Amino acid sequence: MPSRILITGASRGIGRSLVCHYLDRGDLVIGCARTPSGITHERFHEYALDVNDPQAVRDVFRQVCATVGGLDAIVNNAGIANMNAIALTPLASARAVMETNFLGTFVVSQAAIRVLRASPSPRIVNVTSIAVPLRLQGEAVYAASKSAVETFTRIAARELAPFRITCNAVGPSPIRTALTAGVPERTMQALVDDQPIPRWAEASDVANVIDFFLSPQSSLVTGQVVYLGGWS
Amino acid sequence: MHADEIVELVLDTLRTTNRSRAADQQMEVSRDAPIFGPPSPLDSLGLVALLIDLEEQIQARGYALTFSDAAAMSEQRSPFRNVPSLVAYIAKHLNGVDRCPAAS
Repeated sequence: MPSRILITGASRGIGRSLVCHYLDRGDLVIGCARTPSGITHERFHEYALDVNDPQAVRDVFRQVCATVGGLDAIVNNAGIANMNAIALTPLASARAVMETNFLGTFVVSQAAIRVLRASPSPRIVNVTSIAVPLRLQGEAVYAASKSAVETFTRIAARELAPFRITCNAVGPSPIRTALTAGVPERTMQALVDDQPIPRWAEASDVANVIDFFLSPQSSLVTGQVVYLGGWS
Repeated sequence: MHADEIVELVLDTLRTTNRSRAADQQMEVSRDAPIFGPPSPLDSLGLVALLIDLEEQIQARGYALTFSDAAAMSEQRSPFRNVPSLVAYIAKHLNGVDRCPAAS
């Protein structure tokens, strides 16, 4: 049965690939991003959205409800990175990363609770990173923001269980996107080489994990963080 | 919405909540009833469910309101701790909000 899936950060990278994946699967997809995706499809609805703006998020959810009648899943994919040494990171940069990666996830999830609980299989999926378990130097703020996402995921799993909403997270291993373009190739390759399964991730690997979380058969799967590549 | 209408809306939502609660966990339904904190039997998750139900009822009447407050879970200071404080919160925050497109 087709689902109604809202994806943030939908205009590029993993988010854009997820939009295409779920459209190919036959689902109805709502894409949210600060910039247009360029995707046109009869089952694709697009909204310009900054996930840091609570009123704008609430407005989008109201419009989505009026347009498609509800939602079955949200994928909190919107994220930014700012690779830098702690000693050299401006407060404004750190704040922007925390606001988009963590508070954006919080704001969208909070608004989604009201809508999702009417779904027969309500799901929240958050996107984290292997920067958390690897404690990568130069990614302290980014990893901290994703640590917050993971803790939020685990507690949301408990708080939202009475509404049958599951909440899980997927952490991609090194994958070629605009987000990682600023990281030296040799650094990324070293991470890949050190993985139990030493290959670069593809967007389809991320989609595969999300498919599992979204499945109606996964109603007992919640509070889980799954990393790709064999990291734990 | 008029104050009396808000009170009735809150009391209706309490009655609806009681339908899914055990006989020994029923909430008082009155204009002065406690909602959260002793002697109310409602726990924090129950409060969330009640407030979201109430949001939907308010939305069905053409208004948009999202319950959120830094003191929401405080038994002493929560604006949702009893019927009068909840009614006052709704009356205050309904002022000037846009009508909900979904219900208009």
